[in-house]
Amino acid sequence: MKRMVIRQLIEKIEGEAELDYTFSEGRIEDVKINFGFYRGIEEILEGKDPKDALVITPRVCGICNHAHLIAAVRAIEDGYENAGVKIGLTQKAKNIREFTLACELLQNHIKWFYMTLLPNLEKYLKIVSEENHAMKATYFSTTITKALAIFSGQWPHSSYAIPGGVTCDPTQLDVMQAQSLLEECVRFFEQVVTACSLEKYLAIDSVSQLHKIEGDFGRLLHLLGSNGMAEMGQSYDRFIVFSDSFLSKAGKSIVTSVSKVDTRYVHESAQKGSVAKAVSYKNRLYETGPLARGMVSKEPIVKSLHKRYKDSLMTRVFARVHEVALLLEESRKLLKEIRVDEPSCTLEAELKLYEFEGTGTVEAARGSLIHKTTVNNGVIVKYDIITPTQWNLSHGNEKEKGIAVKAMVGSQSIEEADFIFRTFDVCSVCTAQ
Amino acid sequence: MSIDKQESVKKLFTAQSAKVETNKGDAYYNELYDRCRARLDELKKLKPLNNRMDFMQSIEEEGLERRDFLKWASATTAMLMLPASFTPLVAEAAVMMNRLPVIWIELQDCAGNSEALLRSDGPKIDDIILDIISLEFHETLMAPSGHQAEKQLEDAVEHFKGKYLLFVEGSIPQGIDGHFGTIGAKAETFIDHTLRLAKDAAAVVAVGSCATFGGIPAAAPNPTDAVGVMDVVKGKPIINIPACPANPSNMVGVLLHYVLTGSIPELDSLLRPKFAFGYRIHDNCERRAHFDAGEYVEEWGDEGAKNNFCLYKVGCKGPMTFNNCSIIRYNEAVNWPIGVGRGCIGCSEPDFWDKYAYERPMANANIKAPTGGVEKTVDEFGLGLLTAAGIGIAIHAAASAVAGKKSEEV
Repeated sequence: MKRMVIRQLIEKIEGEAELDYTFSEGRIEDVKINFGFYRGIEEILEGKDPKDALVITPRVCGICNHAHLIAAVRAIEDGYENAGVKIGLTQKAKNIREFTLACELLQNHIKWFYMTLLPNLEKYLKIVSEENHAMKATYFSTTITKALAIFSGQWPHSSYAIPGGVTCDPTQLDVMQAQSLLEECVRFFEQVVTACSLEKYLAIDSVSQLHKIEGDFGRLLHLLGSNGMAEMGQSYDRFIVFSDSFLSKAGKSIVTSVSKVDTRYVHESAQKGSVAKAVSYKNRLYETGPLARGMVSKEPIVKSLHKRYKDSLMTRVFARVHEVALLLEESRKLLKEIRVDEPSCTLEAELKLYEFEGTGTVEAARGSLIHKTTVNNGVIVKYDIITPTQWNLSHGNEKEKGIAVKAMVGSQSIEEADFIFRTFDVCSVCTAQ
Repeated sequence: MSIDKQESVKKLFTAQSAKVETNKGDAYYNELYDRCRARLDELKKLKPLNNRMDFMQSIEEEGLERRDFLKWASATTAMLMLPASFTPLVAEAAVMMNRLPVIWIELQDCAGNSEALLRSDGPKIDDIILDIISLEFHETLMAPSGHQAEKQLEDAVEHFKGKYLLFVEGSIPQGIDGHFGTIGAKAETFIDHTLRLAKDAAAVVAVGSCATFGGIPAAAPNPTDAVGVMDVVKGKPIINIPACPANPSNMVGVLLHYVLTGSIPELDSLLRPKFAFGYRIHDNCERRAHFDAGEYVEEWGDEGAKNNFCLYKVGCKGPMTFNNCSIIRYNEAVNWPIGVGRGCIGCSEPDFWDKYAYERPMANANIKAPTGGVEKTVDEFGLGLLTAAGIGIAIHAAASAVAGKKSEEV
């Protein structure tokens, strides 16, 4: 069979992408991922006050805006520390920031699961389902973003995190309201997603116990397994995480050996024919996201799936839904430990530094997000935003194809490749900015 | 304050575009009532589009009671600035939202407004949005994708020619002949796409600050030469619902108003519906009493912050921002930025990203008001309240003068 190129539009993601598939001998040989979209947010930040990044960068993305806010505030705080100003966040400010971030990850994972993954799997397998997936997704995400808004004022696009802390000063009643909304989400997870209590779910630590998971997640795992899809979509088995959080420590994992990372070795480069820049670490490509976090932190169940299925779509999908349970569990602790009598903010609002360089990292829904800011004469002279999807969706280099591209190569149909592509939780607005 | 200044403030307050008439008299409302009644009777004869679910049935399935629904209807009637006697009509209109075809397109955006829409409130408004409104096309929410989706869009435009409301999310890049933003496998530019779909729309609703005034992409130096819908689309009624994100209540309000009356709501000179943008945030702010009492947050985390004092001194732009978020709030009315001690950033005003962006106090903000500039600090504020109000109105009017010109070209 001759080589042929087919162009396909991918929607139902944040923005849209265009994929050019090259077929050879009936299998996909290469894929070009293009985004017909550019805003120039980094250019817009140049010449502005460093704190403007707190308002502008969340607008990079409607679905991970909060992660951008936290990365931006951390970049400023890091810059201040480098310039000799002690930050000293209170435990309260830390817990509130971690909780709101967890809420954002939760709504993302559930929306991806119900609005992208399940419908596309059903489409691929030609299953007609009576389920209203969108309704389930909105119920959960509405509830958890209400809990988020108690501390952040609104979602999307809140700006309540400031250098030295947070602006909110919740009462115990606010915390209790958030707890009750969180419990609503736990109930949804237990009754609808896994049909299994959170406690029992979290005790599952090996592939042999996966049958204990029922509900929509159980159904998905069953569909992937019984349709020979469990080993599809493998990439390079290389993972990277840049931020310390309860989900994972920073580090990189090549197959199963984990070592340290430093953002200084992150390199961005322009790609031919695309507005999205590619990213590499010491000239190598890495996958970032929940699977990377699971591998770097050696989460037992993720490791067990990896042992059986490598970095396949099965392991990748599992790692993301699994994070929902981890986030719910941790959020309970974060709320319980908020001490409302601690100060919210420890820095003077008027404190202004004229020269500094700072880096902020955060574990966003789709992986590590990095903000780097360089400030001279009181204004930003350079701002770099490196988003998770730039790692996963780059075209690659002369030596290697990109992470998602590699996972799609070898597929026998566009439908198959399309589904593999979506397991990465694609976001075009972040990738292209 | 000199006589001239007082005169100019008075003039600004009484300018036609800034006036919100909440009581237009019995004759007006009686005529409107009859018009709405006739409109709803006409709509009733039409079949729901695309076999959408029955509204009351879906409400019952969600376990909501008729009383909850009526409560929502009366709150919405008040929001639309209609007399309480319109409540049954509003309720009826909500039930008939499935007669209204809506096409929603995303351009140079972050999808934040779609995200906000998903979190709209009301009696499980998710139902209204996803099941009742005939959302004929929405990239993220609809079932088909790829070529199928493109076909669905073409079919909807053809089938509902002249009848659909076109919702636009995101700004329109004009640089390099519009090639900073393209859509579909044929790489149609955002400009061409918008113009083509606007041509057959009954009206165009620009949602969010990007679609209305260019938003973040249009911030200096505006790398892609981004503009809002009203700078590109001519010869069609345009409704602007700014804010970042736009408040879903206002989106539903515009839709409901259209179903109810068959016309677009009364707009200010920036083409914003007056029911939502007729007042400043400051007018209904929960911290307003502290402003009047001269009690301010001086530093985040201070005693003032703990006591929910006014945020004016830490940069709140509420006195110059027209929006109803102090009443409607966000995320099912759970909260809003001022509720968490973060001043308003003026996200529903033109150029907020360059003028108001971070929490710099208004005194240091990059704003020049026709009343002679912004006073240095609150302490030097003199007739604080009146002046602040004047500034808000002045900025509004200055921006209106520009926008007014634009709308005349239509």
